Amino acid sequence: MASLPMLPDTAPFAAEQIAVLNKVMVATTPEQRSWLSGFLAGYQAATAAPQASPAAPPATRQPLSILFATESGNSEALAAKARLVATRLGFAARAIDMADATPEVMAKASNLLVIASTWGEGDPPQRAIDFYTGLMADAAPRFDGVRYAVLALGDRAYANFCETGRRFDERLAALGGARIADRIECDVDYETRAKAWIDGTLGTLQALLAEAADADPAEPGADVIHVDFARGPAEQAWTRSRPFEAEITERINLNSSRSTAETWHVELSLAGSGITYEPGDALGFVPTNDPALVDEVLTAAGLAGDATLHAALADRFDVTTLTRLQIAEFGRMTGDAALIELGADAARAAAFIEGRQVIDLLAAAPHRLTPEQLTGLLRPLPPRLYSIASSLRAVPEEAHLLIGAVRFETHGRARKGVASADVAERRRVGETMKVYLKPNSHFRLPADPATPIVMIGPGTGIAPFRAFVQDRDATGAAGRSWLFFGNRQYTHDFLYQLEWQDFLARGALSRLDVAFSRDQREKVYVQHRLWEQRRDLYAWMEDGAVVYVCGDANAMAKDVHATLARVIADQASVDAEAAQAYLDRMRRAGRYLRDVY
Amino acid sequence: MADEKKLSRNETIKEESRFLRGSIAEGLHRAETGALSEDDTQLTKFHGIYQQDDRDLRAERGRKKMEKAFSFMARLRIPGGTLTPAQWLALDDIAQERANGTIRLTTRQTVQFHGIIKTNLRPAIAAINRAMLDTVAACGDVNRNVIATSNPYERATHGAVVALARAVSLALLPKSRAYHEIWIGDELVAGGEEEDEPIYGRTYLPRKFKIAITVPPHNDVDVFAHDLGFIAIVEDGRIAGYNVTAGGGMGMTHGEPDTFPRTGDVLGFCAPDQVIAVAEQVVTTQRDFGDRADRKHARLKYTIERMGVDGFRAELERRLGFALAPARPFHLEGNGDRYGWREGDDGLAHYTLFVENGRIADTGTRRLLSGLRAIAGVHAGTFVLTCNQNLTIAQVAPDRRPAIDALLAEYGLDGDVTALRRHAMACVALPTCGLALAESERYLPSLVTELDAVMARLGLAEDAITLRMTGCPNGCARPYLAEIGLVGRGPGTYNLYLGAAFDGSRLNKLYMKDVSDAAIVAALTPLLEEYARDRESGERFGDFVIRRGHVQATVGGNRFHADLAPGLAA
Ligand code: SRM
Ligand SMILES: Cc1cc2nc3c(=O)[nH]c(=O)nc-3n(C[C@H](O)[C@H](O)[C@H](O)COP(=O)(O)OP(=O)(O)OC[C@H]3O[C@@H](n4cnc5c(N)ncnc54)[C@H](O)[C@@H]3O)c2cc1C
Ligand SMILES: Cc1cc2nc3c(=O)[nH]c(=O)nc-3n(C[C@H](O)[C@H](O)[C@H](O)COP(=O)(O)O)c2cc1C
Ligand code: SF4
Repeated sequence: MASLPMLPDTAPFAAEQIAVLNKVMVATTPEQRSWLSGFLAGYQAATAAPQASPAAPPATRQPLSILFATESGNSEALAAKARLVATRLGFAARAIDMADATPEVMAKASNLLVIASTWGEGDPPQRAIDFYTGLMADAAPRFDGVRYAVLALGDRAYANFCETGRRFDERLAALGGARIADRIECDVDYETRAKAWIDGTLGTLQALLAEAADADPAEPGADVIHVDFARGPAEQAWTRSRPFEAEITERINLNSSRSTAETWHVELSLAGSGITYEPGDALGFVPTNDPALVDEVLTAAGLAGDATLHAALADRFDVTTLTRLQIAEFGRMTGDAALIELGADAARAAAFIEGRQVIDLLAAAPHRLTPEQLTGLLRPLPPRLYSIASSLRAVPEEAHLLIGAVRFETHGRARKGVASADVAERRRVGETMKVYLKPNSHFRLPADPATPIVMIGPGTGIAPFRAFVQDRDATGAAGRSWLFFGNRQYTHDFLYQLEWQDFLARGALSRLDVAFSRDQREKVYVQHRLWEQRRDLYAWMEDGAVVYVCGDANAMAKDVHATLARVIADQASVDAEAAQAYLDRMRRAGRYLRDVY
Repeated sequence: MADEKKLSRNETIKEESRFLRGSIAEGLHRAETGALSEDDTQLTKFHGIYQQDDRDLRAERGRKKMEKAFSFMARLRIPGGTLTPAQWLALDDIAQERANGTIRLTTRQTVQFHGIIKTNLRPAIAAINRAMLDTVAACGDVNRNVIATSNPYERATHGAVVALARAVSLALLPKSRAYHEIWIGDELVAGGEEEDEPIYGRTYLPRKFKIAITVPPHNDVDVFAHDLGFIAIVEDGRIAGYNVTAGGGMGMTHGEPDTFPRTGDVLGFCAPDQVIAVAEQVVTTQRDFGDRADRKHARLKYTIERMGVDGFRAELERRLGFALAPARPFHLEGNGDRYGWREGDDGLAHYTLFVENGRIADTGTRRLLSGLRAIAGVHAGTFVLTCNQNLTIAQVAPDRRPAIDALLAEYGLDGDVTALRRHAMACVALPTCGLALAESERYLPSLVTELDAVMARLGLAEDAITLRMTGCPNGCARPYLAEIGLVGRGPGTYNLYLGAAFDGSRLNKLYMKDVSDAAIVAALTPLLEEYARDRESGERFGDFVIRRGHVQATVGGNRFHADLAPGLAA
């Protein structure tokens, strides 16, 4: 009888009670035990203190589709937050990546929230292109009766601010959708506004649905409410507004002293942060402005010498990016008619903004401002993202970044990138950087360690691939790997050269091709190497390789894309359209991944 | 000979190289490194190509996660040193597009490019080839560029010695097709099984081999510094034949007194049509008798020391099948160049341009590179390189002189240069030379400026004294044949040698050891003061210091380290 259930010594009873209970238990049949457990459950339910009930008690769970289009994950994170709020409100909410959706399916949704960012020069995020194209096509399905609202993410520093969100909004209306709330267009400091809008819009939706339910009670198919206590996606402990202060343990300019470029390899200690990342993720960095530039801005606004204001501007305000809104606002503030006029003329304002910054505006029309006016004019300082260049499996509790120093001259003024120059010029080993994790679940090593990978990453685009190769080296992954790297000069700009040599020798990297543009008269870029290697490259693709592209979005990613299409057309002897379709299939299968900026 | 001793590593590399191929072609395609394999870097020398790295950058490279800043030096083979203006323009293009933007004239009458990175190497060599030039055997254990006196103003003899230099060079060129396969041809010619090197054999020579031809009274080639020399004996305006010298060389190693510079011995006289046979048989003798175990003793000069001059001559004559005639008398005057305009015996004019340390670059107002490019654009004659790292704009018709003069003025190339600077020469050394112990090319100009001030103060501004500096004891600027020789010992330190003959016939001798750069002027000033005060009429500085007992005369290479002042040891 030893196998019969016995209360352990640790059970929450006194020793004599345990003895008595065990005496009884030993004698029970399975049926008796089963009855007893049911009885105890009922007893418990009947005698429990009354629980807090959900805020709104609709009788049915309404479906809600939260469709997001993202490149760097902001929209995705907002969609996850919206889902959490909606679930609490009693919606059966799903967050759906536009990459996995089709207009046909979404047209059947009853309630639709669209969260979309804008990229490139007003383009949708890369993974959302199929959906976007389908929706814009003449053959797009009708969205009659679909209740929807659009949250647009963007950056006012770009000419086509929130273009993608605007287009979705207009198109859904044209296709018969019922807009339940005005679109919101969020700038880089979107968090608070976006959250308020989500709360408000879901509240509106809930009210609308409640009205409808009163008119036509009990929608068929709606099931009995179950309070969903499941948590939303685990939230990151550290955020842009509450970043982790990571100590800088190493900081090296990888370019030679003869180089025209400066690319900083920075090693950060994550010890104590609890941050765990995967290769492909990025860190957000909350920079500090150049104090000299802050001085200039303060001086131009007639506020020189205000130490408190200096500190605020240095840490919290964007003192570089110039927007049309700011021109208009500055005009209003100062009553400067010329500025008001300029701010009202989109084309002229755009021309003025080109190559100019806040300081140019202040200098162009000197006016004394109050501290409040100045801070009212400035946007919050947005963090910058950097691909993590290391793997925790190789360097536990560390994250390495590779940061290209941005320096240029426009309109006779030497300019520096806010974040990159902060690292290049002001941070020292032993000091810290404010960071938070920015996961990128769409730019990951293949699940199967045997899958071959092709990595195309010129310039700082090499960063995540160092993470990939480190990771595959640490895990002993069997898959072949091929890296295409490019930069200006072989001798002076070959980032991580010794490490690649080592990885090649160890077999963690199978193949390396490089393109250095300034070593000879003819410019040579990675796409030229792709073309030269087209036979093998296509063979790798046919073998199931995942092709990754990282780095410059403007020229490089486009040229590489076009070249990949040419490679396919040439090797498969198909026309351009079929080659494009091949790449599209790869993209849909998650085998053509881009992380470009 | 060295039968029992272990062969040097290079012998195996050569043996296994399939006639100088090694794995160079494969190495050129490896993207992750700017270098070639160590063994292959020995083989590229035979193709005129040296792997180097920028030593100025060494310290930072590892920390920046980059290998050494590798690049290649390519040395041309230009026997006799004459180039057409079109060739000059082609070289200028190559320097801009594929190398570091400068052209370096060498102490052996040719051109070097520095800073060619691996990916530019094939395009550079191919471009050199398109200019009807090559780098074959410019380095390596073979006969190198054959040099000849630059005396275009004696048209017939100059023509004859340049033609001879070319013929000798051609006769001793390696026959392997490896060069064309690797650097020029697109497809590989068969693997070399059928090839043979009738003169050299599979393992070529034990060491480098150098030939110089001089036309007295000029000794600009420093005929006694080379393994093999031919001194033209001009009788009645035509070359009757050549005195043959053998066993010259400069290189030595600090602290190893069994290595030493040596002036060649005059072996005898041969007729013009015997020159090639003599050259071939001196080469085969060295091939068979040279030391293949210890590269520091492998040059012909040590072979001759071992065999004795007579023994060597006997072996040579046995191979030739004839005896050399007794040497004929000759008279040498100096080993420098003659600058500025000179009328030639054919009515054409020739302008010898001073090129400081051979470096053709635009520096300040002296825009050598651009200037020579401009001159090459209008010049109808030739360019003749000299063995003192200078260049002669040769064969200028009288009516073309003003145009050349105008360009020389325009590019700041007509200014006066002091006699001391004109007779000064430095080897390349830092940052490209892997063997340099001290600065040379980058330092000598400022040292000369300091010494010039002393010379001017002493009224010696017009007096020529030969001054040569090298960054190490290998002796690339032939410092042991300079009246003042400075040889690098370590960063900022030099050994000071005195007492060579102005005409290049006598080696100098160690006068002071480990002189810091800051102390050089102070070390020389009292000697120059004494010279200014006490010299006899026409007496050369090199002879003066011997007469006054500052150093003893070096009578032969094997006495170079002997007869030092008390307390001095080599
Ligand atoms: C460019 C040049 C010096 C110059 O400033 O012009 C030169 C430069 C070098 N010489 Fe030289 N040698 C040059 C004339 C000489 C001379 C002078 C001569 O031949 O009239 C000598 C002394 C004569 C002799 O051969 O003994 C000379 C004796 C050496 C030696 C010592 C050889 C020996 O047997 O002792 C070495 C080192 C070696 O071979 O191991 C050497 C090695 C070198 C190398 C290739 C260094 C190396 O082996 O890694 C130097 C390349 C430096 C660079 O960055 O360019 N070089 N070298 C000369 C090129 C001549 C040419 O066009 O072929
Ligand atoms: C997902 C992601 C990953 C990224 N990963 C990396 C990475 O690994 N490494 C990395 O270095 N960067 C990376 N970036 C880019 C990085 O986030 C910053 O954008 C970059 O460092 C510039 O920031 P900054 O603050 O220094 O410059 P800013 O102050 O933001 O200035 C940049 C702006 O200056 C202007 N500008 C720049 N150059 C010129 C010019 N020549 N002429 C005129 N105007 C010019 C442009 O308007 C540009 O937008 C990534 C970006 C994203 C989105
Ligand atoms: C390379 C690049 C291009 C961008 N182009 C635009 C643009 O044209 N218009 C705009 O409003 N925002 C633009 N943005 C800003 C993004 O839309 C904004 O950062 C957004 O928060 C990203 O959201 P996501 O992470 O969901 O993609 C751009 C950002 C980057 C880095
Ligand atoms: S003498 Fe020495 S330092 Fe100068 S170039 Fe020759 S090998 Fe180099």
